[in-house]
Amino acid sequence: MSTDKFPLLQREEERDVEVTWEDQQRINTFSKLNTRLESLEDEYKKQKTEKEYLDDLAMEIELLDDEQPVPYKIGDAFVMLPLEKAQNRVEKEKDAIDAVVEDLDSQIAGISAEMEELKKALYSRFGKAINLERA
Amino acid sequence: MEANPRGIPKAPFVDNVDQYMKTDTVEATLRKFTEAASKYRFMENSKLQQRASLEQKIPEIEKSLAMVEFLTEKRGSDQSVETLFEVNDTLYAHATIPPTDTVNLWLGANVMLEYTLDEAQELLSSKLSIAKTSLKEAIEDLEFLRDQITIMEVNTARVYNWDVKRRRMEKDAVSA
Repeated sequence: MSTDKFPLLQREEERDVEVTWEDQQRINTFSKLNTRLESLEDEYKKQKTEKEYLDDLAMEIELLDDEQPVPYKIGDAFVMLPLEKAQNRVEKEKDAIDAVVEDLDSQIAGISAEMEELKKALYSRFGKAINLERA
Repeated sequence: MEANPRGIPKAPFVDNVDQYMKTDTVEATLRKFTEAASKYRFMENSKLQQRASLEQKIPEIEKSLAMVEFLTEKRGSDQSVETLFEVNDTLYAHATIPPTDTVNLWLGANVMLEYTLDEAQELLSSKLSIAKTSLKEAIEDLEFLRDQITIMEVNTARVYNWDVKRRRMEKDAVSA
């Protein structure tokens, strides 16, 4: 019986190591962090793409005629905005998304580091009886 | 039985397999563990759906809120706002919004209610924060459920190993 991604403890392994509550908690934390990491990585990818779109947009918008209002999407509708206002909004959105991407990045780094620690601890106790690698 | 804030019970951790196995047969114990794990998985599924629906709902509220905030910025000016509004998925039409102090919010159940911009903003903000809290709780529950499933799996693996070892010892004793 194993989790979807990790065969946590291999059945046939006969090394005599008792699993203590502390070990169990480490295993839980590891599994939890792994799930969290996956969802953060998904989110990071999404935001990163969004950021690239915004960067492109910021470049393109420079080339527009500043006499012409631009349709800018707010909610589900487009609002005709003077170019300058639209640019300001793009800048604001860019700043917001930069902050989000940075935050995700540091969360991912933190979780990865924590997982490495747990890996070391668990491998040193269970050796080959436990598998913590991504399938 | 101990439980998390939303009343999901904690899985029992088997501290000492020898002790634990004194009361029940291996088959019964394994069956019990599998049953518990599948109950947790069932809850996990329903929480996953809850999370998906919230993750869809939150951007919708944010969109409405963005528009209300935009109209609030425009309030007091005598200029109307030119828009292209969505008639259908791929169809947009021009609309001019004269300066306004009010918006109509769709409340569900075929009801739309007129609010002042401030009230609308307040309502949407509170809806947003409630949805975000529920999402956080759903994620907490999912992590909690994952823990319990892991515990049951480790329990299962250990009882199984314990049984394999016991059988082998019995066999060795017979052949010796």
